[in-house]
Amino acid sequence: MTKSEQDMTLNALPAAIRQRIDEAISDASVALKLFVAKRLADPAMVASHRVTKAGRIGLKSGQVSELTLIAPLKQGGAERLKKFFALIDQNLQGAGQVGTLHNMRFVFLENETKLLFATAYDGEWDPYIDDFATLIPEMMDYIFGNIEGWPGIHSPDVKAFIERYQIPAAAWFVADPDITVAEADRLRRQDKAVRNFLGNLN
Amino acid sequence: MVFEGIKAWFGVDIEFDKVQAAIVRMRPEPYFGTHALLEIRDARGGREVLRRLAERVTSAADWDKPRPAWTSLAITYPGLVALGVPESSLASFPENFREGMAKRAGALRDGGPNAPANWEQPFGTGRVHLGLSVYAGSEAAWRSEVAAYEERLAEVSGIEVLGRQDFGAQPDSVNAFGYKDGFTQPKVQGSRVSGFPGDGREIKAGEFIFGYPSETGRPLLMPAPDELGRNGTFLVFRKYYSHVAAFNRFIHANAKTEAERELLAAKIVGRWRSGAPLALSPDKDNPAIGEDPSRNNDFTYADDPRGLKTPLSSHIRRMNPRDTKLKALSDVNIRRVIRRSTTYGTHLNKGVLVDDGQPRGLDYLAIGVRAIDTLEFLQSEWINSGNFMGVGQEKDPMIGLQGKDGTFTVPGVPPRYLRGIETFNTLLGGEYFFMPSIPAIRWLGDLKN
Repeated sequence: MTKSEQDMTLNALPAAIRQRIDEAISDASVALKLFVAKRLADPAMVASHRVTKAGRIGLKSGQVSELTLIAPLKQGGAERLKKFFALIDQNLQGAGQVGTLHNMRFVFLENETKLLFATAYDGEWDPYIDDFATLIPEMMDYIFGNIEGWPGIHSPDVKAFIERYQIPAAAWFVADPDITVAEADRLRRQDKAVRNFLGNLN
Repeated sequence: MVFEGIKAWFGVDIEFDKVQAAIVRMRPEPYFGTHALLEIRDARGGREVLRRLAERVTSAADWDKPRPAWTSLAITYPGLVALGVPESSLASFPENFREGMAKRAGALRDGGPNAPANWEQPFGTGRVHLGLSVYAGSEAAWRSEVAAYEERLAEVSGIEVLGRQDFGAQPDSVNAFGYKDGFTQPKVQGSRVSGFPGDGREIKAGEFIFGYPSETGRPLLMPAPDELGRNGTFLVFRKYYSHVAAFNRFIHANAKTEAERELLAAKIVGRWRSGAPLALSPDKDNPAIGEDPSRNNDFTYADDPRGLKTPLSSHIRRMNPRDTKLKALSDVNIRRVIRRSTTYGTHLNKGVLVDDGQPRGLDYLAIGVRAIDTLEFLQSEWINSGNFMGVGQEKDPMIGLQGKDGTFTVPGVPPRYLRGIETFNTLLGGEYFFMPSIPAIRWLGDLKN
């Protein structure tokens, strides 16, 4: 598309959207403006990835929420954690017991004095933390026990503690916002059943 | 000696003479009663009413002996403010209680027809300060208990009765849909309530009454000061209108014969009309099981992981998954509440397909230290989602808020995916209450300033 074609396409979009774009990103290229404007003008696309709050703190798109936490490590905390992660070959598979957990990562920051914990999970913040406390309390306490002031996963103060170090995302995108971990599992089983059924037909 | 033995056995000794009766007393059968909502117009009048009611509100002492009627009292956050409770104390209450149910509509998924803007007066207006409830086992006892509290309210200025709703008086204690209900209650440790088979393991008293060890091993955070918080609890009240004709229409649209209709209706509820659970009687109703409290709740889902008998999405399986292996969110023992729900209006016959416009429905009452958190959890995770049961975004078929494309899955070979399910219970309003101990009612009545 030539620049004048881009200008024409942009001008054909609703004035309210053009105005919002010019106010927010007047310095952007016409191509980017057009890219954003087309999405804003498509109600179905906006609705399917709408970003809401994940309860207490954090963002949520469809059913999937984000949590990012940066907290100071105790003296020697990084060393202990590295030994633990090496022991399990950096594979946190045991956390899969938490049926709302899509992924998580641990990253050391600032000369290994701070820990970054980032995760994507299904649903709301409070039940998610409750689930960790119920299902993998020992792993939680072993890992997060290396953080300065960790009150213990069963402490009544643990949620306030996590909230204090959590940094809510500024923006959030999930490719399939309605596919929870449980849904993915169901679809996989359904797919297997359909394949078996079709296989037996032939 | 004997007493010490009992104390050692239960590990905790509940102060029954201070705790309100409604926490441990089961709904009688048959039952009669009234919920009244009151507004405090000035602190002096409000305090006087509390001093008068303190003699009338029934304690749990001798709870194991039959009693013709009892009265309970609960206070909203605006009620505590109206009574002039000190700021330091007000600030010690949890945020969701202070905000009130209407402001929590987002967390509660109370949108569309259930949104506070559509509620019946006076719910959600901030004017509901006190909730008084009378439960009775006979009409005479009910009338005399109501007369007794009304007498104490009369002659006091500065208080107004905003609304009064009578409930109960149904033959066989069936709900608006024609089902026997109110089965499962948690067993409270130290309450010496023996319960019935199927109630599950004993839950720590601190989950239900402030000041006792909870499931976490220690008491949960209690409102200050101790005189106000100890032996109190929270009470959640939600008034529903039951669209029985819509329910009947859905059943008729999806099943041909009378037997098929009753089976489909049971699949939605999880029980037959008599109360017999599908888990024990999967093919047809069995009133002998339904009426027997030692049998009608004595079951697990161990032999039914896929929900072939009791659908995963059925109402009773969602509300109490028992031993179902959940896809997510597993600690069922911090999700337990004491339920004191009551039915109002007459039930509509199962053959009626057009609503007669009469008021009928359910007053949902749940009691517990975590009752507010639990309600918010249930509304978002177990009622208006199906993810925890592996049924996607399908909602509770009885109390879920259905969208345009609502479904209900009946597992089977092949399964049935029923479309076009409507919202069978819409919310008319509700409030979050604190249910103080009897000494705390006096403490509030004696506030000065």
